Amino acid sequence: MTMVLMDPTAELNPDGRMPLPKPKSLNGLTVGLLNISKPRGDIFLDRIDDLLGQKGIQTKRYSKPTFTRIAPTELKQQIATECDVVIEALAD
Amino acid sequence: MSQYVLVVKEDCETCRLLASLTKRLIDELDITIYSQDNPEFPAGVPVIDDTELEYSFNHRLETVPTLLKFENESGLTELERTEGWDRNEWQRLTGLNFLEDLPAFRPGCGSKTLDPGMLDQLAVKFGSADLEARRLAIEDGEDEIEACYDRGWSDGLPLVPPTELRVVKMLQGTRRAPSEIIGNVPPDYAPCSVLKVAVNAVMAGCKPEYMPVVLAAVEAALLDEFCMHGLLATTYFSGPMVVVNGPISRAIGMNSKGNALGQGNRANATIGRALQLVIRNVGGGKPQGVDRAALGNPGKYTFCFAEDETNSCWDSYSVEKGFDSQDSAVTLFAADGVQGIVDQKSRTPESLCRSFAAGLRVASHPKMVMAADAFLVITPEHERVFRDAEWSKTRVKAELESLLQIDGAELVMGAGGIAEGLPDKFADKVVPKFRAGGLNIVRAGGGAGMFSAIIAGWGASGSMGSVPVTVKVGH
Amino acid sequence: MDLDRRGIPGGFIASAEFVEAAASQARSLGFDPSKVFVGHPIQDRSNAEMEKLAEDAFQEVLALVVETDA
Repeated sequence: MTMVLMDPTAELNPDGRMPLPKPKSLNGLTVGLLNISKPRGDIFLDRIDDLLGQKGIQTKRYSKPTFTRIAPTELKQQIATECDVVIEALAD
Repeated sequence: MSQYVLVVKEDCETCRLLASLTKRLIDELDITIYSQDNPEFPAGVPVIDDTELEYSFNHRLETVPTLLKFENESGLTELERTEGWDRNEWQRLTGLNFLEDLPAFRPGCGSKTLDPGMLDQLAVKFGSADLEARRLAIEDGEDEIEACYDRGWSDGLPLVPPTELRVVKMLQGTRRAPSEIIGNVPPDYAPCSVLKVAVNAVMAGCKPEYMPVVLAAVEAALLDEFCMHGLLATTYFSGPMVVVNGPISRAIGMNSKGNALGQGNRANATIGRALQLVIRNVGGGKPQGVDRAALGNPGKYTFCFAEDETNSCWDSYSVEKGFDSQDSAVTLFAADGVQGIVDQKSRTPESLCRSFAAGLRVASHPKMVMAADAFLVITPEHERVFRDAEWSKTRVKAELESLLQIDGAELVMGAGGIAEGLPDKFADKVVPKFRAGGLNIVRAGGGAGMFSAIIAGWGASGSMGSVPVTVKVGH
Repeated sequence: MDLDRRGIPGGFIASAEFVEAAASQARSLGFDPSKVFVGHPIQDRSNAEMEKLAEDAFQEVLALVVETDA
């Protein structure tokens, strides 16, 4: 049974949850690169990592233990503590 | 439509008693009669069939017979209503003299809309279709409580998911139309309808009977002199504190006694929370957004209590403000947290006032004056000291005011080795701690315990900031 | 989405195959994250081809994590 809720807000924003706003600059921030562990994704992320490094941006690498399940809580907590923004790749 | 409406049901002795009157009502008034169970009753007059209970539901009928009076024949704006049979009331409402051989008064019976389970069914049938608000569908497998969190509606604590049924029931708690706009809520200055208040009241955990109080609190918050926008955007600690006076505080079971400022009472907890949620969700005021409070205080989850008016030797706060003691009123104050004052030895009013003054002196900062207002919440055990000495509230305030005339030399910058303080020119002056009228007194708290509390206000109190506001509670 | 809930903005990269699935998931979750789509297929690409995919997509990938004027 689908539950229907009434909107308590002033409805100024589009429906649904908005993603967090992005920072204005990456200076001094750490970009997390999360490999969801499908094959070949690591090569892709390696190159992104290089390119970010060339721009002087700090990165940190992570991998999901397996692509078949969502990232474990400990991994998410770690990323949330160590990084300011995150890129997940590569789903296909 | 018509200017008067009478709703009856045959299965009600009082309604049957009045059947003989109805011919006269039809002849002499612009009136429409609805019957909840038998469209042939009353006999001999035109009756509208309300066995589906649509009219009765939409007009929140609780009793039959109910006689409603509207502003004019459009039947849109209700002026007042009377329930049951009361000769004087009926005469007053209609302007007719009822000399018929009837008793002076007979109570009515329950409206069929309140039959067990009926309200829920009617809510589904009639209630929600024309309520104007966006709907959000929660898919199977999605947790509705998480969904509320995800959408940013929460103050951190779980919300009651605002389903249509819950909102419709909440709206039954007020006679005001759901589409009525109360005002624009800062900081976004979005219009706030009675419906939006109801949705947030559901989420807060309110019961429908709290709605009149919640609505009054929102009205008060939107008054210009309360300065809600400034209060929200400040780096200061304060948030709105709600104090309720009058019969409704008792009728809905608010706590004015033991632990009145603490947890455990549903009305206290949820009314304050509903106001905060309206500010957050309708107004858009959130921490790290427009709300820039450095520390805030726990009262920003909810801060709401009732003044204890029973056996008090003093006028209540709302009566002091010029309201009738039989009216209910809501007062809003831009409040910090609670500063306790312990005094278990003072037997004289003079000594007790000195204790209070010592505590009041340090509100915000010992050297800060004419900045924040304050509320002094005096418990019954402390009030007893004043009662025994026959000191009125006015006398207490006058005493406190005179004790809080402070030597400027203590207050200037650098005095006491503290950089904070007043400019040098005040060094030879005497300055009062509070602006005129800045100190407020209410009575609340449990019977045992010689403690009172100071609740200081926003550093910008008075005409350049926020003043406490009091609003009458309607329906 | 969960990292977004934890205060970490960002997004994901997927192959073009994923467009429908992403849209459908966004509808059901009520949350539409930032995303970049790259050419399909992925599995049989050489390293050089993967690297080129990354280079071509780099500007869009940056936009997942930083405000751009675009």
